[in-house]
Amino acid sequence: MQRETHVGVHDHHAEADRTDVFGFWLYIMTDCILFGCLFTTFLVLNQPMEHTLQLKNYIHLPDVLVETFFLLASNFTFCLASLSIYKEKLGSVVWWLFLSFLLGAGFLYIEVNEFIHFAKEGFRWDYSAQASSFFTLVGTHGLHVTFGLLWILTMIVQLSFFKLNQTMKRRMTYLGLFWNFLDIVWIFVFTIVYLMGAM
Amino acid sequence: MLKNLLLGNLSVEAIPFDAPIILGADLFMGMIFFGVLFSITFYKKWSYIWHEWVTSVDHKKIGIMYLILSFVMLLRGFSDAILMRSQQAVAAGHSAGFLPPEHYDQIFSAHGVIMIFFVAMPFMFGLINIALPLQIGARDVAYPYLNSLSFWLTFVGAMLCNASLVLGRFAETGWLAYPTLSELYYSPGVGVDYYIWSLQIAGVGTTLGGINFIATIFRMRCPGMTFFKMPIFTWSVLCAMILVALAFPVLTATLALLTLDRVFGMHFFTDFAGGNNMMYINLIWAWGHPEVYILILPAFGIFSEVVATFSQKRLFGYTTMVWAMAIITFLSFVVWVHHFFTMGAGADVNAFFGIATMVIAVPTGVKVFNWLFTMYKGRIILDTPMLWVSAFFTTFAIGGMTGVMLAIPPVDFQLHNSLFLVAHFHNVIIGGVLFGYFAGAIYWFPKMFGFKLDEKWGKWSFYFWVIGFYVAFMPLYVLGLNGGMRRLNHYENTLYQPYFIIAAIGMVLIFIGIIMQIIQLFVSIKNRAALRDKTGDPWNGRTLEWSVSSPPPIYNFATVPTVSVIDQLWENKEQHQQESKVKLNLHSEYTPIHMPKNTAMGFIIAMFAGLTGFAIIWHMWIPGIVGFVGVLVSVIARTFETKIDYYIDAETVKKTELNYIKGII
Amino acid sequence: MLAKMYGIYLMLRVALGRLLKLSLMILTCVAICSLAGCDIESLGMLNPKGIVAFEERKILFDTLALMLIVVLPVIVMSITFVYHYKQSHRIRDYKPRWSHSYFLESLWWGIPCAIIVVLAIITWKETHRLDPYQRLAGHPQKPMLVQAIALPWKWLFIYPEQGIATVNYLQIPVGEQVEYWITADNVAMSAFFIPQLGSQIYAMTGMRTRLHLLANEVGIYEGLNTQYNGEGFSDMNFKVEVVTPQQFKAWVEKIKKSPLLLNDANYQILLKPSINEKPAFYSNVKKDFFDNVVQLYLHTYGTIHPRQTNVTHGKE
Repeated sequence: MQRETHVGVHDHHAEADRTDVFGFWLYIMTDCILFGCLFTTFLVLNQPMEHTLQLKNYIHLPDVLVETFFLLASNFTFCLASLSIYKEKLGSVVWWLFLSFLLGAGFLYIEVNEFIHFAKEGFRWDYSAQASSFFTLVGTHGLHVTFGLLWILTMIVQLSFFKLNQTMKRRMTYLGLFWNFLDIVWIFVFTIVYLMGAM
Repeated sequence: MLKNLLLGNLSVEAIPFDAPIILGADLFMGMIFFGVLFSITFYKKWSYIWHEWVTSVDHKKIGIMYLILSFVMLLRGFSDAILMRSQQAVAAGHSAGFLPPEHYDQIFSAHGVIMIFFVAMPFMFGLINIALPLQIGARDVAYPYLNSLSFWLTFVGAMLCNASLVLGRFAETGWLAYPTLSELYYSPGVGVDYYIWSLQIAGVGTTLGGINFIATIFRMRCPGMTFFKMPIFTWSVLCAMILVALAFPVLTATLALLTLDRVFGMHFFTDFAGGNNMMYINLIWAWGHPEVYILILPAFGIFSEVVATFSQKRLFGYTTMVWAMAIITFLSFVVWVHHFFTMGAGADVNAFFGIATMVIAVPTGVKVFNWLFTMYKGRIILDTPMLWVSAFFTTFAIGGMTGVMLAIPPVDFQLHNSLFLVAHFHNVIIGGVLFGYFAGAIYWFPKMFGFKLDEKWGKWSFYFWVIGFYVAFMPLYVLGLNGGMRRLNHYENTLYQPYFIIAAIGMVLIFIGIIMQIIQLFVSIKNRAALRDKTGDPWNGRTLEWSVSSPPPIYNFATVPTVSVIDQLWENKEQHQQESKVKLNLHSEYTPIHMPKNTAMGFIIAMFAGLTGFAIIWHMWIPGIVGFVGVLVSVIARTFETKIDYYIDAETVKKTELNYIKGII
Repeated sequence: MLAKMYGIYLMLRVALGRLLKLSLMILTCVAICSLAGCDIESLGMLNPKGIVAFEERKILFDTLALMLIVVLPVIVMSITFVYHYKQSHRIRDYKPRWSHSYFLESLWWGIPCAIIVVLAIITWKETHRLDPYQRLAGHPQKPMLVQAIALPWKWLFIYPEQGIATVNYLQIPVGEQVEYWITADNVAMSAFFIPQLGSQIYAMTGMRTRLHLLANEVGIYEGLNTQYNGEGFSDMNFKVEVVTPQQFKAWVEKIKKSPLLLNDANYQILLKPSINEKPAFYSNVKKDFFDNVVQLYLHTYGTIHPRQTNVTHGKE
């Protein structure tokens, strides 16, 4: 006969947490490989012919600087949220999470505007291989950020339901890993695509 | 307008009324499908199926479901083979055969996709699911819910591939869908889209499975089981799953890029606007080569287990075997260009990759010799699993040899895309992967179901399979050396025809072998009382899965075992003889066991994913959005679920264990 | 004859046993090879008519010999060990714990390594010597040029130095090196291959691959496409006629008088998908025709395929 009980061993949960976080690292590794393919593709296809629309003529570095600032700041506020978890201050956690959301949304807003601007000027994703790989690489990162923002919102909602229990702490670890990972990918993006591209 | 958003390009014309053979296949499939639904309803088994199987997160049940999926898809993949061999046996000279190119081209594409993605991979995951947690003394995999999700995603991928038979068409591009042929301009229909989505969805399932099993092996081994005390099959799974985690994201990315080309008109692999189809070929083979090692490594693991068990002798050179697999794992990432030497990469690149390919032959050869010397001075029991192993040695040696021949670029310049190539890869996949998985299936069948498979029919099916394989594929080597190419719908040179006819005869022999395997299953079920495995250790095994009942209780081990050597069970048996089993299991103290609850989420998420894929194929944008949102909502909803586990109380555990022990004594 | 063989198979299958399986294998191979023997000459690398194919066949057999050093012992051991150590044979020599031997390990790591080193040296040398992009060894002078364009389901061969072109038919002089430039137009990736003369190489739109071949025997050989590229793939064959240089010159003169010109209108007809084209002969081929075809793909940007207006590919 099986019935639900709440008899648990605390050690068991700690072990399970470490296993779960290990798995999440493995997922991050697979996402790394995915981005690796997109970077490789970008580097290979980044050879437009003369007399065609070229990426370097559209890049506006100040915009990139601002969106980078937003994303980095968003990571910083998330770290503050993580610190608040250690201090068991639920209110702070939610507040810093909310800020991270706003800053991340700011990043996305600038990026989407950039895409729309490029497209209006004729540099569309279906124009050339360079354009396709630009929009896809930067866009995939942006899509990941979008999912991250959705996740942050979900976390804010769940924190009000479940408060800071073991599960929520573990999930904040995942989200922290994910959010930091996206920041690191962004550093590669703006170096390889924007800085190297603008020269 | 609304109709367009709802139905997209889907219409009654999608049903292939103009292709009688396909229509016949559809009707047959429909009969089986509705027949199964009807039987379940008639026997009032919906509740049972839903609660015990569809929502199960038990690795043993998920493993069995994978095996069922694999075997059903084997029948479909083999039907493709029957059609191909028959067509090629008759379409000589002026004859066009009975299959027009637009049908034949779908058949060989589907054959490859089904055999690799929906037969070999599920077969592998099925066996891993069943054996791995038991071998390492664990109660389940690391992420049971993900395990269920992985299975259902694979299932949905297979169903999409089957759906292409009824609505629309499948890809006519070969199993890897090279651009520029798979681009919208050269393949404007839905075929390539079906291909993309069935692979993409199944691929996500596989990647999650890879993560799951790596975490399981790293984190859930029983106390005392250090890495170099793990069973060799576990090592092979670890190597294969590392390959999965590193290679499948490449497939996901590549298929996504092709999708972007086809749906948004992008230019990754198009003819023009800077697109480069060579990029796809590099990427897809950067996935594709590790893929075949993903398939063969667990088969190597199975061979190691079976050879040691059925020779009643310790595996020769355990440490060497582990390092050989590690070297193979690493090398599998640096050989991919050998699949397209003829693409014009230049002599330096070609020579490098050719040499790297040959180097893999060394650790593989080492493994073969280790197996042979495991048999040396052993006491071999030639039951069916061991028969499969012994056939493997010769078959795989020949296949490997032709592989090294193909690894030399100038030779490949002659034999690339010829029937020699086709014979080579069937040689290693059937001789290596399939023979290994068959051996594993028969070996672990009693563990799954509690009774052995019938030996006599097993041996008969073995002989038909092996002889059929040689008769079917040796002629292809000859044809390849004589200018015969692959994927030919018909051919002018009638001198080829006798060879194709012999190959068709071989195919018939294999078909009889498959029929015999089905008969074996029915006979074994009928005689299950006589074939019952009472002790849980029908083969006098060496590893931990044989220390529990057959089938194991849902929690696998009442008490988590502790090990101190390799082949702990064998050591125990050597020292304690009969008592060991009883000593291993009889404890006065039983504790409640923590188990994950069944969940429908894996199934639900997969269904939404399938809806999304199907909808995008047919440009049905509203159902597509519904599907995608459904996936997101389900994933998020699951995270709100708190009642995801339960405890089995100590009384129940004790009763189960006492029952088992009563059965042995 | 086939029926008789099948009958023998059926009978032998009744007696089970590993050795029988091996003899069946040998029987199969022997039967097949004898079939090969009683047939007319092979159409592939086993019957080479060009120096590249000849070299490639030699490498094939050398490799086979080297690999058999390892493979034959494996096959023999796999049969004899299984038989000799069967439990029912009650061999007293049973060593259940013996699982290690430095000597044996060094043997089967060492010998395969040595064989692979030999093969690696062969591979490096021969891959460079037989590089399709390089002129053939011993033939450093400038070869005749033939430009091949893969079209939907036929081949167009341009002789730019002679100003003529052919469809699905190639005539080349014996004993003279020919360089091929290969591309594709309005068709998916294909491959150019004359098995009895030498290597195959891919034909891709917007790209140019190169190949050097030399035929050393007069005759008619098969040319084909090895890379599946759609509906008409099975029919993308062409005849290769190797003739004496004088005959070749005479043939070129004849084709120069062909009433069919390779102008835009006629090329548009060729661009349309068709299957089983009969050989055709064109005169008055414009200079840079081949280059223009390649450049067209390199200079088209945007959403419309350069050949979009011409044709419909595949099925909806």
